[in-house]
Amino acid sequence: MPASDDATYYHDDPAWGDVQPLAQDDGALHPLASIAYTDEYSEAMGYLRAVMAANEYSERVLALTEHIISMNPAHYTVWLYRAKALRETGADLAREIAWLNPTALQHLKNYQIWHHRQTIVDALGSPAGEADFIATMLEQDSKNYHVWSYRQWLVQRFDLFASDDELRWTEAMIDDDVRNNSAWNHRWFLVVGGHGGRMESPRLAERELEYAKYAIRKAPQNQSPWNYIKGVVRAAGMPLSTLTSFALEFADMHRPDDIYSSHALDLLADIYADEEGSKEEAKKALDLLASRFDPIRAHYWNYRKALLEVPETAA
Amino acid sequence: MAPGLTRDAEESRLNYAAHTRYWRRNLKTFLPRQYTGNDCNRMTLAAFILSALDILGDLPAALSREERAGYIDWVYSCQLPEGGFRPAPATDLGAARTPKNQIWDPFHVAGTFFALLILITLGDGLENVKRREILQWLTKLQRPDGGFGETLGEQDRVEGGNDSRFGFMVAAVRWMLRGNLEGPVDGVPDIDVDAFVRCVQAAESYDGGLSEAPYHEAHGGFTSCAISALFFLDRLPTKNPDGRQRGLRNLPMTLHWLASRQTLTIDEEDAAETYSDETDSAATCDDSHSFMKLHNYPSMRGKLSFERQPPVHAEIKWVGMNGRENKIGDTCYAYWVCAPLKLLGHLDIIDPKPIRRWLLDRTQHLVGGFGKLPGDHPDPQHSFLGLMVLSMFGEAGLQNVDTALCITERAKDHLESLPWRRKLLGSDSIGEA
Repeated sequence: MPASDDATYYHDDPAWGDVQPLAQDDGALHPLASIAYTDEYSEAMGYLRAVMAANEYSERVLALTEHIISMNPAHYTVWLYRAKALRETGADLAREIAWLNPTALQHLKNYQIWHHRQTIVDALGSPAGEADFIATMLEQDSKNYHVWSYRQWLVQRFDLFASDDELRWTEAMIDDDVRNNSAWNHRWFLVVGGHGGRMESPRLAERELEYAKYAIRKAPQNQSPWNYIKGVVRAAGMPLSTLTSFALEFADMHRPDDIYSSHALDLLADIYADEEGSKEEAKKALDLLASRFDPIRAHYWNYRKALLEVPETAA
Repeated sequence: MAPGLTRDAEESRLNYAAHTRYWRRNLKTFLPRQYTGNDCNRMTLAAFILSALDILGDLPAALSREERAGYIDWVYSCQLPEGGFRPAPATDLGAARTPKNQIWDPFHVAGTFFALLILITLGDGLENVKRREILQWLTKLQRPDGGFGETLGEQDRVEGGNDSRFGFMVAAVRWMLRGNLEGPVDGVPDIDVDAFVRCVQAAESYDGGLSEAPYHEAHGGFTSCAISALFFLDRLPTKNPDGRQRGLRNLPMTLHWLASRQTLTIDEEDAAETYSDETDSAATCDDSHSFMKLHNYPSMRGKLSFERQPPVHAEIKWVGMNGRENKIGDTCYAYWVCAPLKLLGHLDIIDPKPIRRWLLDRTQHLVGGFGKLPGDHPDPQHSFLGLMVLSMFGEAGLQNVDTALCITERAKDHLESLPWRRKLLGSDSIGEA
């Protein structure tokens, strides 16, 4: 494979003159999933194997791992090796973060980089600057799973559960896109996850119900706040029927032409299924879902309908 | 229409010949240099390639006897002296490998899982696999919270994120090498199954899906891996409690979440037209593509799919599957959502027909394989998982597959017939449970 003009090589670099690269042994006459490596990658990997074999930890090793990561960020031991080299050389970890920032932006879907970042930020002992970096990442993809998971690690590591800033930021993310389920989940992580899965007080539950209701009124056909509000009711130990009148705002079954949310119908079906003498109402809600308001899930709604017929003990 | 789409006005069709060509090409020629970022996933790619050809029924024709033996040799060349498989030759230090530097070429759960799948698919008897050593490694990969890591670092530190993919692969490897037996086998200790089940339960989200860690966002991939792992460990919920700790505390909610992954948002246009739209209506919001009032068509695509057809739900043509709430449909989630449904015995709560049509009409590519989204180039992961789902749906011309192992039933039967395994599980005398 011809080299590109800005390729980096080691064989004619005097700084690497003492290293004998270890070429890749592809194992057999019939290797599987062989990749047409560039000469640049093949050579750099040969030097990486050589310095790994020698357990060398140095400035040049840091530069080499940086080079490998730019071509193959999913190399699982290069990150561990780099972390060790950083420790052994007493490297400036703030500089490491400064390098990681643009690198993460280049490799949005890579996950090893987040494990590494955790290691570094953990050692730095401060979340300073991380919120800004996360904001930059979320500008690229506001639902990037790795980024949200990392944020949750930060909250846990630096105990930011009770921080007003954290909750305000989460609200701003939901304001920005009320359908961003990652942001809804982060709110749950802060409000409920931070308290071992329980809703701390009736007042808090009330606040969360109002918050979710406000979002649902803005966008009634948005499943994220519906899941959230049901979660709040469950975590607070309230009966699901707490939400009956709210659900009826969007789904009055006696006026099927004015139904605004399949999720409200779904919730009503659940509520009525548990109520004495309301099985017919539950069935009606499920029928409306299957035939008219959410037909792509008709099989599921029909399954739920069949469950209504099953006697309690066998369910 | 995006270039590269196959569309057959008459009937959705699996382009069998194109898929076979696609996978044979992946088997016999170099992957382009754009795959360099997958250099450490070669064992995974290889397993997809061979298992896909097996699903297509093409494996006997695609391989000469010599090639088959050669591929088996290659997999064994990735076996570590301490047991387990590296996921690629990239980390092999060769003659320079010593106890002092072998931490840079460590036991790796994905390397081991996919190496075993390849060997089984190719008909190897696993006699030369360091099975005891692998089972010992599995116990070392478990964290105090019950979850598993990807690999081991210095002083056997468990490395890799919290991720049910690792738990899935550990459970699968354990099942392949020692079936459903619990407790020590041949002096090799077992993983802590109860602790793992508790770890899965802790990752159940408030919406019924599962995530990678407690209170993280539910995700199709993690949900599937966790449920498959419980399946291998025989810890899925049962109707009759048997005193064992079982996963999924709220099965109805998990089924609800899985069924909710069906979506009519299946291409970028669908997603873009509702982005950041605050003035919600049935016709404009993202997941409202599933909210169809009569004569109130969900999107341009949805509208086209209804034209000249009676507006009844049986006529919904394409339904995609997404991995999280309010996300676009994506080929691989057809597998990640249908696999747990099948393992839970509830594949019947979805309608496979419009999902099949979506895969065949929208993400199947002209050159064979499947892309992630309509118009995307095919890649081995999406192409493989697309085939898996179609086979699970009973597509004519495809071999039957084992949902959780991701190999054909034929290959799984071969594993279960191996004498050492039958002896271990006592299946020669009493038959395996």
